[in-house]
Amino acid sequence: MIEGIAVLKVRDVLLVTMPADPDDATVCALQSRTLDAMEQHDVKGLILDLSKVEILDSYFARTVAETAKMVTLMGGETLIAGMRPSVAITATELNVTLGATRTVLTLDRALDMAGGISRRKTDTKNGHVR
Amino acid sequence: MSEPEHGTVQIEVEADIAVARRVVRDVAGKIGFGITETTRIITAASELGRNVFKYAGKGAMHWRILQKGTASGVELSFEDHGPGIADLDAAMREGYSSGGSLGMGLPGAKRLMDELDVKTALGEGTTVVVRKWRRA
Repeated sequence: MIEGIAVLKVRDVLLVTMPADPDDATVCALQSRTLDAMEQHDVKGLILDLSKVEILDSYFARTVAETAKMVTLMGGETLIAGMRPSVAITATELNVTLGATRTVLTLDRALDMAGGISRRKTDTKNGHVR
Repeated sequence: MSEPEHGTVQIEVEADIAVARRVVRDVAGKIGFGITETTRIITAASELGRNVFKYAGKGAMHWRILQKGTASGVELSFEDHGPGIADLDAAMREGYSSGGSLGMGLPGAKRLMDELDVKTALGEGTTVVVRKWRRA
């Protein structure tokens, strides 16, 4: 059920939304879908929306961390948004990590931050300081 | 007294791990576990179910609702007839893995659950039993 992953281009970033309880094939598709979309669109990076996700096991977490690393190698930045408290607690107890990936509380904040990144770059180009 | 509720999920293909998670979610809901406890139990089931698939190719998860006095809980038993675990002490240690994974399966599941028992014999298979009790 790979159609559970939504990939949208929002301004300068890709917004990838994961379903509540993805099976392994869906988790695996996250990587290829995301990297393909990164190549196709000229974007600064990726926001991975985990707000629907109810379970983050070690396989899922490793795939997220690897995908973020690959996005970095391609020259993009990854923000992980909206992890639920129960998922954060369980992931910590399970001792899984997301590598050096940046996390934000909500999708709203992620979009603000992504907007900030692209604005700053534009402003530098135009010689403005905000 | 009526027979305690129980059931089995066969683990034969990768997608069965997700089926096991859904069954565990329903069982945990029936017992009345809260959201965080439910998440812990499902995550442990996911790790242990994946172990079965990865190391033995196939096996089963048996679930059972526990009743002890006024306390209720859930027992999940992951059974396979795979190669067995050669060094159980090492498998219970953090970061150890013979299967190229992150090695969080057994120690991780132990932290998420209240009890974890492992029975294993080389060439015969492995059974991992985990239990979680609902705090009243």
